[in-house]
Amino acid sequence: MLFLMSRNPEEPVYNRIEEARVALGLSRQDLADKAGVHYQTIGYLEREEYSPSLVLALRIAKSLNQEVSELFSQTPFKKGKS
Amino acid sequence: MWKLKDAKENKVLGVTVKPKNKIYWFEGVTEKGVKSLLTDENSKYRWLRSQRNRRVLVVLMAVGLIALAMGSYWPTLKTGSLILNSGAEIAIYSVTAIFVIFAVLGGYLLLRISVRGIGDAPNELLDERQIKVRDTSFRYAYYAMGYVVLGLLLLMLIGPDLQMFQPKGNDGSYLVVATLFAFSSMPSMALAWRERDI
Repeated sequence: MLFLMSRNPEEPVYNRIEEARVALGLSRQDLADKAGVHYQTIGYLEREEYSPSLVLALRIAKSLNQEVSELFSQTPFKKGKS
Repeated sequence: MWKLKDAKENKVLGVTVKPKNKIYWFEGVTEKGVKSLLTDENSKYRWLRSQRNRRVLVVLMAVGLIALAMGSYWPTLKTGSLILNSGAEIAIYSVTAIFVIFAVLGGYLLLRISVRGIGDAPNELLDERQIKVRDTSFRYAYYAMGYVVLGLLLLMLIGPDLQMFQPKGNDGSYLVVATLFAFSSMPSMALAWRERDI
Protein backbone atom coordinates (compact mmCIF):
# COMPACT_ATOMS: atom_id res chain seq x y z
CA MET A 1 0.00 0.00 0.00
CA LEU A 2 1.20 3.47 -0.83
CA PHE A 3 0.36 4.90 2.58
CA LEU A 4 2.57 2.31 4.23
CA MET A 5 5.62 3.13 2.13
CA SER A 6 8.61 4.29 4.11
CA ARG A 7 9.65 7.91 4.04
CA ASN A 8 12.42 9.05 1.79
CA PRO A 9 15.50 8.89 4.02
CA GLU A 10 17.21 12.26 4.02
CA GLU A 11 20.73 13.01 5.09
CA PRO A 12 20.35 13.82 8.79
CA VAL A 13 21.08 17.28 10.14
CA TYR A 14 21.92 17.28 13.82
CA ASN A 15 21.14 20.29 15.97
CA ARG A 16 21.28 21.71 19.47
CA ILE A 17 18.09 23.74 19.27
CA GLU A 18 16.53 22.25 22.39
CA GLU A 19 19.67 22.82 24.44
CA ALA A 20 19.96 26.44 23.32
CA ARG A 21 16.24 27.08 23.76
CA VAL A 22 16.17 25.69 27.30
CA ALA A 23 19.27 27.69 28.18
CA LEU A 24 17.40 30.84 27.23
CA GLY A 25 14.32 29.75 29.16
CA LEU A 26 12.13 29.71 26.07
CA SER A 27 9.22 27.38 25.43
CA ARG A 28 8.69 25.76 22.04
CA GLN A 29 5.86 28.19 21.43
CA ASP A 30 8.12 31.16 22.25
CA LEU A 31 10.76 30.00 19.81
CA ALA A 32 8.11 29.19 17.21
CA ASP A 33 6.75 32.74 17.48
CA LYS A 34 10.22 34.21 17.11
CA ALA A 35 11.12 32.03 14.15
CA GLY A 36 7.70 32.34 12.53
CA VAL A 37 6.80 28.66 12.43
CA HIS A 38 4.28 26.36 14.07
CA TYR A 39 5.30 25.05 17.50
CA GLN A 40 5.18 21.48 16.26
CA THR A 41 7.77 22.31 13.65
CA ILE A 42 10.12 23.19 16.51
CA GLY A 43 9.37 19.77 17.99
CA TYR A 44 10.15 18.06 14.68
CA LEU A 45 13.41 20.03 14.45
CA GLU A 46 14.45 19.20 18.01
CA ARG A 47 13.80 15.51 17.41
CA GLU A 48 15.85 15.82 14.21
CA GLU A 49 12.94 14.51 12.18
CA TYR A 50 12.97 17.52 9.90
CA SER A 51 15.86 19.38 8.31
CA PRO A 52 15.18 23.10 8.01
CA SER A 53 15.80 25.27 4.99
CA LEU A 54 18.75 27.63 5.18
CA VAL A 55 16.41 30.58 5.76
CA LEU A 56 14.70 28.85 8.69
CA ALA A 57 18.04 27.73 10.14
CA LEU A 58 19.22 31.35 10.02
CA ARG A 59 16.01 32.59 11.64
CA ILE A 60 16.26 30.01 14.44
CA ALA A 61 19.93 30.79 15.02
CA LYS A 62 19.12 34.50 15.24
CA SER A 63 16.23 33.80 17.63
CA LEU A 64 18.59 31.83 19.88
CA ASN A 65 21.47 34.33 19.59
CA GLN A 66 23.74 31.72 18.04
CA GLU A 67 25.57 31.12 14.80
CA VAL A 68 24.11 28.56 12.43
CA SER A 69 27.31 26.50 12.66
CA GLU A 70 26.94 26.36 16.45
CA LEU A 71 23.39 25.04 16.19
CA PHE A 72 23.47 22.72 13.19
CA SER A 73 25.89 20.04 12.09
CA GLN A 74 26.05 17.09 9.73
CA THR A 75 27.78 15.08 12.45
CA PRO A 76 26.31 14.39 15.89
CA PHE A 77 27.16 16.86 18.65
CA LYS A 78 29.05 15.62 21.65
CA LYS A 79 26.79 15.30 24.69
CA GLY A 80 27.03 18.10 27.21
CA LYS A 81 29.28 20.24 25.06
CA SER A 82 28.17 23.86 25.30
CA MET B 1 4.25 32.76 8.38
CA TRP B 2 1.40 34.18 10.42
CA LYS B 3 1.40 34.79 14.14
CA LEU B 4 -1.38 34.25 16.62
CA LYS B 5 -1.55 37.90 17.55
CA ASP B 6 -2.38 38.77 13.93
CA ALA B 7 -5.68 37.02 14.33
CA LYS B 8 -6.77 39.19 17.23
CA GLU B 9 -8.20 42.65 17.17
CA ASN B 10 -5.78 45.53 16.62
CA LYS B 11 -6.15 49.10 17.79
CA VAL B 12 -5.25 51.68 15.16
CA LEU B 13 -5.42 55.32 16.28
CA GLY B 14 -7.71 54.30 19.13
CA VAL B 15 -10.15 52.57 16.82
CA THR B 16 -10.60 48.83 17.17
CA VAL B 17 -10.10 47.16 13.81
CA LYS B 18 -11.20 43.60 13.34
CA PRO B 19 -8.94 41.72 10.94
CA LYS B 20 -10.64 40.78 7.72
CA ASN B 21 -11.37 37.08 7.42
CA LYS B 22 -9.88 36.28 4.04
CA ILE B 23 -11.66 33.60 2.07
CA TYR B 24 -9.58 31.30 -0.09
CA TRP B 25 -12.14 30.30 -2.68
CA PHE B 26 -9.86 27.97 -4.60
CA GLU B 27 -8.91 25.97 -1.50
CA GLY B 28 -12.34 26.26 0.09
CA VAL B 29 -11.08 27.54 3.45
CA THR B 30 -11.06 30.80 5.40
CA GLU B 31 -8.05 32.40 7.05
CA LYS B 32 -9.76 32.43 10.43
CA GLY B 33 -10.83 28.81 10.11
CA VAL B 34 -7.33 27.54 9.31
CA LYS B 35 -5.69 29.69 11.99
CA SER B 36 -8.18 28.46 14.55
CA LEU B 37 -7.30 24.85 13.74
CA LEU B 38 -3.56 25.53 13.73
CA THR B 39 -3.53 27.25 17.11
CA ASP B 40 -5.45 24.69 19.18
CA GLU B 41 -8.19 27.26 19.89
CA ASN B 42 -10.73 24.47 19.52
CA SER B 43 -9.45 22.13 22.23
CA LYS B 44 -12.63 20.05 21.98
CA TYR B 45 -11.18 18.45 18.83
CA ARG B 46 -7.81 17.59 20.38
CA TRP B 47 -8.81 13.94 20.85
CA LEU B 48 -9.07 13.63 17.08
CA ARG B 49 -5.42 14.44 16.55
CA SER B 50 -3.75 11.29 17.89
CA GLN B 51 -2.41 9.19 15.04
CA ARG B 52 -4.50 6.22 16.13
CA ASN B 53 -7.75 8.18 16.03
CA ARG B 54 -6.82 9.79 12.74
CA ARG B 55 -6.16 6.38 11.23
CA VAL B 56 -9.48 5.06 12.55
CA LEU B 57 -11.15 8.05 10.90
CA VAL B 58 -9.38 7.32 7.60
CA VAL B 59 -10.58 3.71 7.67
CA LEU B 60 -14.16 4.78 8.51
CA MET B 61 -14.04 7.36 5.73
CA ALA B 62 -12.86 4.73 3.24
CA VAL B 63 -15.69 2.41 4.33
CA GLY B 64 -18.17 5.28 4.01
CA LEU B 65 -16.95 6.13 0.51
CA ILE B 66 -17.23 2.51 -0.60
CA ALA B 67 -20.71 2.27 0.94
CA LEU B 68 -21.74 5.45 -0.84
CA ALA B 69 -20.39 4.20 -4.15
CA MET B 70 -22.21 0.90 -3.68
CA GLY B 71 -25.42 2.87 -3.25
CA SER B 72 -25.62 2.87 -7.01
CA TYR B 73 -25.58 -0.92 -7.04
CA TRP B 74 -27.51 -1.80 -3.92
CA PRO B 75 -30.97 -2.21 -5.49
CA THR B 76 -29.50 -4.65 -7.98
CA LEU B 77 -27.68 -6.58 -5.28
CA LYS B 78 -30.59 -6.63 -2.91
CA THR B 79 -33.52 -7.53 -5.11
CA GLY B 80 -31.80 -9.31 -7.94
CA SER B 81 -33.69 -7.09 -10.33
CA LEU B 82 -33.18 -3.56 -11.49
CA ILE B 83 -36.41 -2.28 -10.06
CA LEU B 84 -37.20 -1.52 -6.45
CA ASN B 85 -40.41 -3.40 -5.95
CA SER B 86 -42.28 -1.51 -3.30
CA GLY B 87 -42.63 1.91 -1.77
CA ALA B 88 -41.11 0.64 1.46
CA GLU B 89 -38.00 -0.58 -0.34
CA ILE B 90 -37.60 2.74 -2.10
CA ALA B 91 -38.02 4.57 1.22
CA ILE B 92 -35.42 2.39 2.98
CA TYR B 93 -33.04 2.81 0.07
CA SER B 94 -33.46 6.60 -0.02
CA VAL B 95 -33.18 7.13 3.74
CA THR B 96 -30.10 4.88 3.93
CA ALA B 97 -28.49 6.74 1.04
CA ILE B 98 -29.11 10.13 2.65
CA PHE B 99 -27.74 8.84 5.97
CA VAL B 100 -24.57 7.56 4.28
CA ILE B 101 -24.09 10.86 2.41
CA PHE B 102 -24.35 12.84 5.65
CA ALA B 103 -22.06 10.37 7.45
CA VAL B 104 -19.44 10.78 4.71
CA LEU B 105 -19.86 14.56 4.81
CA GLY B 106 -19.38 14.50 8.60
CA GLY B 107 -16.35 12.26 8.20
CA TYR B 108 -14.92 14.63 5.62
CA LEU B 109 -15.30 17.62 7.96
CA LEU B 110 -13.82 15.72 10.92
CA LEU B 111 -10.93 14.61 8.76
CA ARG B 112 -10.13 18.22 7.86
CA ILE B 113 -10.23 19.16 11.54
CA SER B 114 -8.05 16.18 12.52
CA VAL B 115 -5.24 17.38 10.24
CA ARG B 116 -5.69 21.05 11.24
CA GLY B 117 -6.85 21.94 7.75
CA ILE B 118 -3.27 21.57 6.50
CA GLY B 119 -4.44 19.48 3.57
CA ASP B 120 -6.45 22.39 2.20
CA ALA B 121 -4.57 25.41 3.53
CA PRO B 122 -2.79 27.88 1.23
CA ASN B 123 0.97 28.40 1.46
CA GLU B 124 0.75 31.76 3.23
CA LEU B 125 -0.93 30.19 6.27
CA LEU B 126 1.59 27.37 6.68
CA ASP B 127 5.25 27.13 7.58
CA GLU B 128 7.82 25.38 5.39
CA ARG B 129 7.49 21.96 7.05
CA GLN B 130 3.71 22.05 6.85
CA ILE B 131 3.89 23.03 3.17
CA LYS B 132 6.22 20.11 2.52
CA VAL B 133 3.96 17.72 4.42
CA ARG B 134 0.89 18.99 2.56
CA ASP B 135 2.55 18.68 -0.83
CA THR B 136 3.70 15.14 -0.06
CA SER B 137 0.16 14.19 0.97
CA PHE B 138 -1.10 15.50 -2.39
CA ARG B 139 1.42 13.28 -4.18
CA TYR B 140 0.14 10.20 -2.31
CA ALA B 141 -3.45 11.31 -2.86
CA TYR B 142 -2.74 11.53 -6.58
CA TYR B 143 -1.45 7.94 -6.62
CA ALA B 144 -4.40 6.73 -4.55
CA MET B 145 -6.89 8.47 -6.84
CA GLY B 146 -5.14 6.82 -9.76
CA TYR B 147 -6.08 3.44 -8.28
CA VAL B 148 -9.66 4.65 -7.66
CA VAL B 149 -10.02 5.78 -11.27
CA LEU B 150 -8.46 2.51 -12.46
CA GLY B 151 -11.02 0.63 -10.38
CA LEU B 152 -13.86 2.67 -11.86
CA LEU B 153 -12.61 2.05 -15.39
CA LEU B 154 -12.39 -1.70 -14.72
CA LEU B 155 -15.92 -1.59 -13.31
CA MET B 156 -17.10 0.10 -16.50
CA LEU B 157 -15.29 -2.44 -18.65
CA ILE B 158 -16.32 -5.63 -16.88
CA GLY B 159 -19.54 -4.29 -15.39
CA PRO B 160 -21.83 -5.15 -18.30
CA ASP B 161 -20.69 -8.80 -18.12
CA LEU B 162 -21.51 -9.08 -14.44
CA GLN B 163 -25.18 -8.64 -13.73
CA MET B 164 -24.58 -7.54 -10.13
CA PHE B 165 -22.33 -4.67 -11.17
CA GLN B 166 -24.61 -2.49 -13.16
CA PRO B 167 -25.45 0.90 -11.72
CA LYS B 168 -29.08 0.78 -12.68
CA GLY B 169 -30.53 1.11 -9.19
CA ASN B 170 -30.22 4.78 -9.88
CA ASP B 171 -28.36 6.61 -12.59
CA GLY B 172 -24.98 6.05 -10.95
CA SER B 173 -25.10 9.41 -9.20
CA TYR B 174 -23.95 7.96 -5.85
CA LEU B 175 -20.87 6.67 -7.58
CA VAL B 176 -20.17 10.18 -8.86
CA VAL B 177 -20.77 11.72 -5.41
CA ALA B 178 -18.46 9.16 -3.78
CA THR B 179 -15.75 9.87 -6.35
CA LEU B 180 -16.03 13.63 -5.75
CA PHE B 181 -15.79 13.09 -1.98
CA ALA B 182 -12.78 10.84 -2.55
CA PHE B 183 -11.07 13.53 -4.63
CA SER B 184 -11.73 16.15 -1.94
CA SER B 185 -10.75 14.09 1.05
CA MET B 186 -7.82 12.04 -0.27
CA PRO B 187 -5.06 14.58 0.60
CA SER B 188 -6.35 14.87 4.17
CA MET B 189 -6.68 11.08 4.37
CA ALA B 190 -3.05 10.68 3.29
CA LEU B 191 -1.96 13.34 5.76
CA ALA B 192 -4.00 11.84 8.60
CA TRP B 193 -2.58 8.40 7.96
CA ARG B 194 1.08 9.29 7.53
CA GLU B 195 1.90 12.04 9.99
CA ARG B 196 2.87 11.22 13.56
CA ASP B 197 2.14 14.67 15.01
CA ILE B 198 -0.29 17.11 13.49
